[in-house]
Amino acid sequence: DEEEKYKDLKGNKKKSKKTDDLKKELDLVSVLWGGKGAAEILARDGPNALTPPKSTPEIIKFLKQMVGGFSILLWVGALLCWIAFGIQLAQGVASAFDNLYLGVVLALVVILTGIFAYYQEAKSTNIMASFSKMIPQQALVIRDGEKKEVPAEQLVVGDIVEIKGGDRIPADIRLIFSQGCKVDNSSLTGESEPQSRSCDFTHENPLETKNIAFYSTTCLEGTATGMVINTGDHTIIGRIASLASGVGNEKTPIAIEIEHFVHIVAGVAVSIGVLFFIIAVSMKYKVLDSIIFLIGIIVANVPEGLLATVTVSLSLTAKRMAKKNCLVKNLEAVETLGSTSIICSDKTGTLTQNRMTVAHLWFDDQIYSADTTQSFDQSSQSWATLSKIVTLCNRAEFKPGQENVPIMKRVVVGDASETALLKFAEVILGDVMGIRKRNRKLAEIPFNSTNKFQLSIHETEDPNDKRFLLVMKGAPERILERCSTIMINGEEQPLDRERAEAFQTAYMELGGLGERVLGFCHLYLPEDEFPDTYPFDTDSMNFPTSNLCFVGLLSMIDPPRSTVPDAVSKCRSAGIKVIMVTGDHPITAKAIAKSVGIISANSETVEDIAKRLNVPVEQVNKQDARAAVINGMELKDMTAEQLDEILINHSEIVFARTSPQQKLIIVEGCQRQDAVVAVTGDGVNDSPALKKADIGIAMGIAGSDAAKNAADMILLDDNFASIVTGVEEGRLIFDNLKKTIAYTLTKNIAELCPFLIYIIASIPLPIGTITILFIDLGTDIIPSVALAYEKAESDIMNRRPRHKKKDRLVNEQLAVYSYLQIGMLAFLAYFTVYAEQGWLPNTLLGLRVNWEDDYYNDIEDSYGQEWVKHLLHLTLVLYRSHNHLLYWFSCRNKVIWVGIFSQIAIALILCYGLGSVTALNFTPLRVQYWFVAMPYAILIWVYDEIRKLFIRQYPGSWWDKNMYY
Amino acid sequence: MSKEEKKPFSQTMAEWRQFVYNPRSGEFLGRTAKSWGLILLFYLVFYGFLAALFTFTMWVLLQTLSGDIPKYRDRISSPGLMISPKPVTALEFYFNKSDSKSYAEYVSTLKQFLKSYDDSKQSKNIACTAGKLFEQNEDRAVKQACQFNRTMLGSCSGVEDDTFGYAKGTPCVLVKMNRIIGLKPEGEPHIQCSPKEEGKVQITYFPDGGTIDLMYFPYYGKNLHADYLQPLVAVQLAINSSSTKEDVTIECKIMGSPNLRNEDDRDKFLGRISFKVQMSE
Repeated sequence: DEEEKYKDLKGNKKKSKKTDDLKKELDLVSVLWGGKGAAEILARDGPNALTPPKSTPEIIKFLKQMVGGFSILLWVGALLCWIAFGIQLAQGVASAFDNLYLGVVLALVVILTGIFAYYQEAKSTNIMASFSKMIPQQALVIRDGEKKEVPAEQLVVGDIVEIKGGDRIPADIRLIFSQGCKVDNSSLTGESEPQSRSCDFTHENPLETKNIAFYSTTCLEGTATGMVINTGDHTIIGRIASLASGVGNEKTPIAIEIEHFVHIVAGVAVSIGVLFFIIAVSMKYKVLDSIIFLIGIIVANVPEGLLATVTVSLSLTAKRMAKKNCLVKNLEAVETLGSTSIICSDKTGTLTQNRMTVAHLWFDDQIYSADTTQSFDQSSQSWATLSKIVTLCNRAEFKPGQENVPIMKRVVVGDASETALLKFAEVILGDVMGIRKRNRKLAEIPFNSTNKFQLSIHETEDPNDKRFLLVMKGAPERILERCSTIMINGEEQPLDRERAEAFQTAYMELGGLGERVLGFCHLYLPEDEFPDTYPFDTDSMNFPTSNLCFVGLLSMIDPPRSTVPDAVSKCRSAGIKVIMVTGDHPITAKAIAKSVGIISANSETVEDIAKRLNVPVEQVNKQDARAAVINGMELKDMTAEQLDEILINHSEIVFARTSPQQKLIIVEGCQRQDAVVAVTGDGVNDSPALKKADIGIAMGIAGSDAAKNAADMILLDDNFASIVTGVEEGRLIFDNLKKTIAYTLTKNIAELCPFLIYIIASIPLPIGTITILFIDLGTDIIPSVALAYEKAESDIMNRRPRHKKKDRLVNEQLAVYSYLQIGMLAFLAYFTVYAEQGWLPNTLLGLRVNWEDDYYNDIEDSYGQEWVKHLLHLTLVLYRSHNHLLYWFSCRNKVIWVGIFSQIAIALILCYGLGSVTALNFTPLRVQYWFVAMPYAILIWVYDEIRKLFIRQYPGSWWDKNMYY
Repeated sequence: MSKEEKKPFSQTMAEWRQFVYNPRSGEFLGRTAKSWGLILLFYLVFYGFLAALFTFTMWVLLQTLSGDIPKYRDRISSPGLMISPKPVTALEFYFNKSDSKSYAEYVSTLKQFLKSYDDSKQSKNIACTAGKLFEQNEDRAVKQACQFNRTMLGSCSGVEDDTFGYAKGTPCVLVKMNRIIGLKPEGEPHIQCSPKEEGKVQITYFPDGGTIDLMYFPYYGKNLHADYLQPLVAVQLAINSSSTKEDVTIECKIMGSPNLRNEDDRDKFLGRISFKVQMSE
């Protein structure tokens, strides 16, 4: 249905209003002018503002945190605990309160982690809130026959508004009067050039016609008056915005991964729990006891602290990225960038500087590069003439008071190409304003779209030369038409066929570079015909505008940012495909793509090959062409399959002249290839695609609010290169999360094993449920977070991005590794402690029944001693010690020491400080027990290193496939 | 547009069936027979190795331990008290003195427990000097045990009254101190019991004064000291007829020895014990 919405958007023939409609509008106007309130229409249409996207109420967000992830499992556990407590209390069992405490602790765990996650999320949302604050806009409106300022929000259809240069257009308006009005539509259409606006209806398509100015675009110069035809959500921008909000928010890859992980762990927990519940019941345990085992198993299996750890790790990375000018709106997006396999980048402002700059000159039959670092031949008389025209035939001016600012950074009043010319002239000649002053301007015809030239007449600075100088610039072919001679090496020569061809070649060549070319010519008006007092009249044009002398061409381009080519090549080596999607012309797009490396130097498009082989395009094998430049018009007629084919067959793709809807189609096409797609953009026209992308990246400086709202990430410096940093951070966090999970899961099995063996072999319970919670949440969080500081592997930017369906965060191998390989050794410590205290393993087996009888206080050990109940619950630190070392080996960053020390400190506090709290069952320990499992830790580490070594040595082997995680 | 279509149930089932057995690739649960073989072999070897290693380490560990005394005895420094017979639920005696079935369990437990204290069996043990610790030479491979004759328990010995007083309404309860290797009590340890409410019960101790003689200490462990029998104190309760059908709570403590704790906060069985008796007629 969005397809249709868009059609409506395009086919809305606002301009070709039928007379009826016009009449209606007139009625409306008369209503307004007749004094009837605009309030009525305001009440009908609503305020002239975009409806902000619906936000989830805070309480819902909070509740979501409370039931998400493992929380449900823990809630069920807590509930079962309380039920067990109730039943046991009724039965008068002395230890009933243990269950009450456990239930309370479980509930606390859920609530605390929930609050924590909510707080983290709220914090990152707050950063954004500052962005969306906008200054209320005022509009100058003629209403009820008088001119007044009203807030733009209160505009209604039928209002007559006046705009001038610098204003933001307050609504969609149809112009009824225009004087040199130019608007910047780049945020809407992506066109970097200013568009002139007049009262003429020039096109069926409202986006193309000249007499409509759009809401939220800016008027660059001139003045205009227009009638409001659409307000608020009905404006073109509003419709695009609603297109964006109609695009569902995709789950981020990391969210999918974490969900996957939660499913695995919850599945394992529940199935082991239920399995052992059944075993326990059939082993004649009491049902109530079996339920408590079930809770214990679930608690042991669920890494309570992990989700909090993940959040902290992500926000640490987000902070780090913010320092590097990548502001992350959605924490999970941190990782998304790392798994990105296709970047669809907008051109203007992202890849380029969005600043027109003179690139080439053509005079004396030769093309010169305008690169200001290498000078060109400035001795030629032709250059002197050309520079004079460039300086004089220009209306742009520096804003005053910028003498100390570098020329390229000065603020200029004027359109983009005039600015470029002004700066160019200022750099090469210096003191342009002085030159203009000395060559006083007598008359001027500004550029307009019908005659496509700009002309001015000046006195010359030479006091002896009484002639006037007429200078003109404009579209090269139009200028050439008006010339009869051409200046070569300072001499005027007739413009013969040969010269005209040379001009054509140069024009084509510069145009082929995607540059905007301007032609320059001049004429010294003969003194006798045009004396001092000659009254120049620009309306009647009482001066010659033909048979001029052609001087040269200047071409301008919006140059790529200097850091972009490097960034693009880095993306390449990281296996990321960079696709350019722009609203600009194909030629310009292709030229920029070539200069930044999106199309590499030796790649050809189908058209290039056809041209080289001199065969029709149809005969070229499409497989041969690495690159492709697709026009929006072609895209419109393509089926999804054809688009897929293009995306698969070509590695270097440029989409030009694309509409917002097409951007969306392209992003969807990429996503069909199972790619994780990043979209960069700044304009409103990019916002649907930004929203649809797996990660939308908006520009912080140039970006429109709509784009920033739709994006997940904002580049504060508008620099494409920052994306590469982001990719690196994203990949790093993925790797580190894997480490965190492996670390957490190995501990899990160490916590789970005792429970299982306790049930089956009836040994005394080595570790209580509450103890497990203390380990998970007390000692383990800081070390897990420390893993987020791990340094990147050297090849992190040289591997392919992960495949979102194949390279999972937690795969079979990781699960097997953590669940099976490591955990069982923890038992060694358990048996050692007991054996050394007098309980040999064979004595322990089957001991549970007497052990758990509260009144059995003379349990005999292997040496004939009799023990009272209050005994060894001393496994807490033991289980940690082997993990410690493993952890020690696997981490190589400095923060790890913080992790280790915090863990030891917390363990000490728990063991020795809380040793007297009965419910916790912690007991102080002999120091050497901390090291019991150490040889095993070393063994595990050696095994792990060998595992990795084999993986590196034999990529693709059986070992690699089965042992890599 | 972005919403994923819900897959029909039949398709989900088909995918599952495909996963369980894929006839095209011959995959069973996502792996071919060969792949399963390899991975199982790997884990067989891996776990075989781990198990062997585990066993080996356990063996090494056990080699380092002496069979006679545990390596560490720091966690068991003060003995707990326990009673015999031990009621099945909690430490609460319920019986009817005129119903022999109601106390049959207690009586048989006591009989069983006291069997090893029979005078005939005690004859192989030596008579030691009362009131003195009986420390034995280290080089003695088998330690000697001191006699504790059943008859020392007087009317609770079961010799004259084989119902241990239960039939008469004067039940006997044995109080014993947990064995701890090397424990040498100081002073003159004795058991002292008192009912929670004064005057409900008269208590008679066997041996007199509830004394635990020092000659039974120290204990050298089950291996070296196979014949060792721990000293007992029998407590005979004469419940006042007015207090029958009521709970009587009795608390026993070890007294008179400075190194035997009886006031530990964490463990209410360390050097003390309390139990309930309710007798009906």
